[in-house]
Amino acid sequence: MMNWIIFSPEFYFLLVSTVFLCLSMMRRIKPEQLYFTALVLASVGVGVCLACVRLTGDLFSGTYRIDLFSQVFKVMLSMGLFLVVCLCTELEGIAKRHHPEFYFLLSACTLAMMMLVSSVHLLTVYVALELSSYSLYTLVFLRKGRDRGVDAGLKYFLIGASASALMLFGFALLYGSIHVAYLVEILKILPKVLNRPVVIIALILLLTGFFFKLAVFPFHFWAPDVYESAANQVTTYIATASKVAAIAILIRIVALAGDGSAYLVHMLVTLSIVTMTIGNLAAVVQKDFKRLLAYSSVAHAGYVLIGILSMSQAGYSSAIFYALSILMMKFTCFLVLVKVSDDGRNLDIEHLAGLHRRSPILAMALMMALFGLAGIPPTIGFTGKLLIFTAAMQKGYFMLVLIAMINVVISLYYYLLVVRAAYLLEPKEQLPELQVPGSIKVLAGLLIFGMVAGGIFPQYIIELSRTAAMTLM
Amino acid sequence: MIVPYSHVIVLAGIVFLMGMFCAVTRRNLIMILLGLEIMLNSGAIAFIGAALRWQLLEGQAIAIFILAIAAAEVSVGLALIVCAYRRKGSVDPGAYN
Repeated sequence: MMNWIIFSPEFYFLLVSTVFLCLSMMRRIKPEQLYFTALVLASVGVGVCLACVRLTGDLFSGTYRIDLFSQVFKVMLSMGLFLVVCLCTELEGIAKRHHPEFYFLLSACTLAMMMLVSSVHLLTVYVALELSSYSLYTLVFLRKGRDRGVDAGLKYFLIGASASALMLFGFALLYGSIHVAYLVEILKILPKVLNRPVVIIALILLLTGFFFKLAVFPFHFWAPDVYESAANQVTTYIATASKVAAIAILIRIVALAGDGSAYLVHMLVTLSIVTMTIGNLAAVVQKDFKRLLAYSSVAHAGYVLIGILSMSQAGYSSAIFYALSILMMKFTCFLVLVKVSDDGRNLDIEHLAGLHRRSPILAMALMMALFGLAGIPPTIGFTGKLLIFTAAMQKGYFMLVLIAMINVVISLYYYLLVVRAAYLLEPKEQLPELQVPGSIKVLAGLLIFGMVAGGIFPQYIIELSRTAAMTLM
Repeated sequence: MIVPYSHVIVLAGIVFLMGMFCAVTRRNLIMILLGLEIMLNSGAIAFIGAALRWQLLEGQAIAIFILAIAAAEVSVGLALIVCAYRRKGSVDPGAYN
């Protein structure tokens, strides 16, 4: 007899996606009604996940684990969904008849990612990862307009499918050489056989699937095109929730290697350095705000890898903390982007000119989020970077931290360019004041408060992520 | 097990490389998709070989799941290709830029 209560967040999101699947088959539903339904369902979802945060247990003959680690990530994912739905008041980037499918795919993707963070068996990891990817491929295709989305959607699909095929082959090699597929048992056996070449090849191959999700160096080519071509809300989702899930599963997989072998650490160090350098250097020359954020995501994937490759409890907990801070900061940037481009078009950085006069609260939120991404105190981004670099220093990776610090300085340049556009540049023609609804103002205020509070009083979150990381070791 | 495990792995590796070659070199989206399918199937072969090597049924169960997922991938992929074909009038990815 399985204890189904602990499965309730997943059940709930399965229900939500079924509701939207049925709604997509009904005719003539007003977009406002859909938006309201989605908002209510998503906010209840956050409540359900919060209520289940202390549950623990195993399901499906031990292939599915509910522990603090997975539950913390489920709360973050449901928060991500709720925040993205908050931005869907206009949803201009997607044709009206596709709105129900848009919400269906969003909730199905959230469900899949929740299953991903709970998976502790190679098969469940694979199934959940594929389910979430398929929803995202289709979401990118939904962009309104004739050609937008098709190129990038196909690129995303082909790169993603190749990455998952490589990952599957890695799984097969790993299973063939150590005959267990439960992550817990792999954790016991793997450190002993980590010097065998086939195991190292298997690990490298199977990490590619997760590197693709996180847009780490050899698999980052999709990121700028997809960010640019997908509808703004879909980009928000990819930049926030899907990154959080990718960080979670990467932590779970890398934690398998125990203290790690020299090969694996060297590979991860190289990837991390190349990823953040490429991301930051490419971001410097971007004109399109979404492309800039895409490259900054690539750079942040590099920073997160530093925390993960430390392979210590401090490293993993810092990566969890960083996932939360990315969720908040990236979402704030996209909140401003969605609200400024009210007809769903893409936004150049110079279009932000005069934002402080058009909407002071949005300009303030943008500035705090960008300061956070650049790692300026007292924001949550500073605390996250501090934790990650401290964890790496404890392991003695001085050069790595030094290169990361240089990268942070590079990134400061282009973040400040955006802030300059919002605060100092004057628009070419006089633009009217932005009509920002009160609820969005409150949301922006809450996000600013959250980012500053997370920077000044991070103890509670640090404590939580430390306990969550403890369940992995 | 009559066939040694190493032979199965070599077979899976060859099939995987063939699939990858097909996916990389073909100029037709449907053939690229086919190449991806072949890559997935080589994973299934490797799992079945591993199941025989260790005399565990787990690997075979995973292979069945892989078949189902490959079918889902083809259906999503073909839907996307049809959508792209309607908008662009071609299945050659080179013609999309």
